[in-house]
Amino acid sequence: MTAIIEARQLQKHYGGPLAVRDVSFSVTEGEFLSLLGASGSGKTTTLRMIAGLETPTAGSVLFRGQDITHVPAAQRDMRMVFQDFALFPNLTVWNNVAFGLRLKINRGRVTHEEIKTRVGRYLETVMLSGHAQKLPHQLSGGQRQRVSLARALVTDPPVVLFDEPLGSLDASMRKSMQLELKRLHRELRKTFIYVTHDQEEAMGLSDRVAVLQDGCLLQIAPPNDIYFRPNSAEVARFVGAANVLEGIVESKGDGVAVVRLAGNARVEARDNTALAAVGDSVTVMLRAEQLRLSPAAPGTDGFVARVTERLFLGEKVRYELCVHGSNTRLSALDTGDQGGFQLGDDLSVSADPRHVRIIGQSPPQRSAP
Amino acid sequence: MSDATLAMGRDRRQLLLWLAPPLLWFAVFMVVPYGMLFYYSLGSTDYMTFKPGFSLVNLARVFQTEPYLSVLIKSARIGALTAIGATILAYPVAFCLAFHTRSARSKFIIYLLVIVPWWAAYLVKAYAWKTILGTSGILNAVLLNLHVISEPMTLFLYNQFSVVLTLVYIFTPFSILSIYAQLDRIPTSMLEASSNLGATTFETLTRLVIPLSLPGVVAGGIITFALATGDFIAPALVGGPDALMISNVVINLLGVAFDWPMAASIGIVVIGIGTALISVAQYLEHRAQVRY
Repeated sequence: MTAIIEARQLQKHYGGPLAVRDVSFSVTEGEFLSLLGASGSGKTTTLRMIAGLETPTAGSVLFRGQDITHVPAAQRDMRMVFQDFALFPNLTVWNNVAFGLRLKINRGRVTHEEIKTRVGRYLETVMLSGHAQKLPHQLSGGQRQRVSLARALVTDPPVVLFDEPLGSLDASMRKSMQLELKRLHRELRKTFIYVTHDQEEAMGLSDRVAVLQDGCLLQIAPPNDIYFRPNSAEVARFVGAANVLEGIVESKGDGVAVVRLAGNARVEARDNTALAAVGDSVTVMLRAEQLRLSPAAPGTDGFVARVTERLFLGEKVRYELCVHGSNTRLSALDTGDQGGFQLGDDLSVSADPRHVRIIGQSPPQRSAP
Repeated sequence: MSDATLAMGRDRRQLLLWLAPPLLWFAVFMVVPYGMLFYYSLGSTDYMTFKPGFSLVNLARVFQTEPYLSVLIKSARIGALTAIGATILAYPVAFCLAFHTRSARSKFIIYLLVIVPWWAAYLVKAYAWKTILGTSGILNAVLLNLHVISEPMTLFLYNQFSVVLTLVYIFTPFSILSIYAQLDRIPTSMLEASSNLGATTFETLTRLVIPLSLPGVVAGGIITFALATGDFIAPALVGGPDALMISNVVINLLGVAFDWPMAASIGIVVIGIGTALISVAQYLEHRAQVRY
C-alpha cells in the first residue's frame, strides 16, 4: 500500500503555544482516516495544512511522495468540505456544484457536456436533483452540506478533506449523513481525511483514527485498537467511557498482574502486563461497560463501591460509583439489566482480567507499548 | 359590537398614539417643506416679489431656457464622475480592510483614518485642495522644483477636474464604508472553498467577491452621486465659471435674482430626477443582494 498523503513533523505556531507540534502520519490510498480531538487539539490546523490553507511553521506535507508543502491550495489535488458549508450564496445549487468544473473548462480540461452529466450525476448521488435551481439559503442544513459534498466530489479528487462537516447539523441529520458518508466512501474508494471531535463518529466511520491533544498526535490506530488498547491515559479518557485509575502492582504471575487501587480495592489485569513489575505504580484502564456489578455481599468477587448517581440513558444505565474507603470514582455502564441498583446501594464491582489493561507507569508515559 | 372589535378599536387608538410623534416630525420636516417648495414653484415673480399662482411655466423653463438644463446635466455628470472615482478609490481600501487586516487593532486604525477627515469641516477640506492645486500651490511648487514645468500651471484649479477631485476626496469614505459592509459579510471559508476548488485569485474576485459586493458598490454610488450632484461648496471654492453646478444656480436665483419660483422649480426637478434614479438604483441593489 502506498501512502497518498504523508505529514512529516508538521508544526504550526500562531504565537503562544504550538498549535501543532511534530505531527507525523501517513494515509494510504482509499483509506478513511479520522483526526479526533477536543477543540484546540490541532486537528483542524493539521487538516488545513494538508489542504494548503495554512502554511506549516516547520515540517512538510507529501502527496504521492512529492513535497507539496509550498504548493498553493488551488493547485492541490484535494477538495475540502467545510464545517459552515462555505457555499457560494450568489450561485444556484447547480452552479455551486459546477464551480470547480467550470474553472477546468477555462483550462481546456473538461467539456460542457461532461459538466452537465457529472453535475447531474452527483446531484443525484446526494439526492438533490430536484433542488438544482435553488439558492443555498433556500435549503436546509443537511441539504446544504450535501451540496458542499457534491461540489467537492464532482471534480473527482483523489483526496477529500472534511472539517467537522456534521458539526452544525442536528443529531438525527448527523446520523443519516454519517451513513451517507460511509456509503460514499465505500462506493467511490477515495481517500477521506475527516476531522471530528465526536469519538463515536470517528470510530464508526474510519479505518483508522488519529487522536490528537494539545497539538500532539497521541495514537494512530484502527478504531478497535484505540478503543481497547489505548497507549496512554489521555487516549483512554478521551475515547469512550473508560475509567483510568492509579494503582500499585502487588504481585505478578501467569500473565496476570494484581493491582491494588486506592481504598485497598484490587483488580486483576491480564492485558499489557509486561509493562509493569511488582511494586511499580501503574495506570490501569477499566472500561465502564465491562464492569460487572452485583449487590455487595460477603464472599463476592471484586471490591465494594457505592452508587452515587444513577442515569437512565435508554438502552443502558450509567452508574457513578465511589470506591469504599477512598474517593476514587468510577463510571459503570449497565447494558443488560444487572439489577436496577439505586442511589446509595453498595455494590460489588469486578472485571474480567482480560479487559483490565495496564496503560503505563505513573506518571503515564506516552511511548507506545 | 363584539368584544373583539372593541379591543381592536382600543389597539388602533393606542397605535395612533404611538405613531403620533414620528408622524408629526414627518409632517413638520418633510411634508410642509416639500409642500412649500411645490407651492412656490407654481407661482411667479413681479419685480422680485413673489406672486402666488398656478402655472407650470417655471417648470417648463427648467427644460427650455438655458443654462438650466445644461447645468443640470453637467452637475449629474460631475456627480457620476465623483461616484465612479470614489468607487475606484474605495474598493481596494474596503477590500484590504475586509480581508487583509487580521488584527482588530489595525482594522480600527484604518477605520479611524477613513473617518477622521470627517472631524474637519467640509470648508477646510475644500480649501486644502485650493492650496494644493493653486498656481502657488504645493503641486505646482513640486513640479517647478523638479523642472517638469517652467511656469505655474493654471490647469489644476478652477475647472471641472478640480471639482471632481475635491468631491471624490470628500465623499470616498461613504463608498468605503458601504462597500466594506458588504465585503465584511463574505466568510473567509468561502474564499478558501473557492481556491480549494482550483480558482485563481482573479477567478475568485470576478466570480464571487465582486458579484457579492455589488450591492455595496451601488449603495455607495447612490450616496456619493446624490451628495456630489447637489454640492455647492466645492464648485464655489475650487470650480471656475465652467464648473458652476445646479446648487450654485439655485443659490443665485434665491439670493441674487430673487426668482424663488424658478429656484423652487429646479428643486422640484432635481428631487424628481434624484428620486427616480435612487429608486432604480435601489431596485438594482435589491436584485444584487444575496442572502447568506
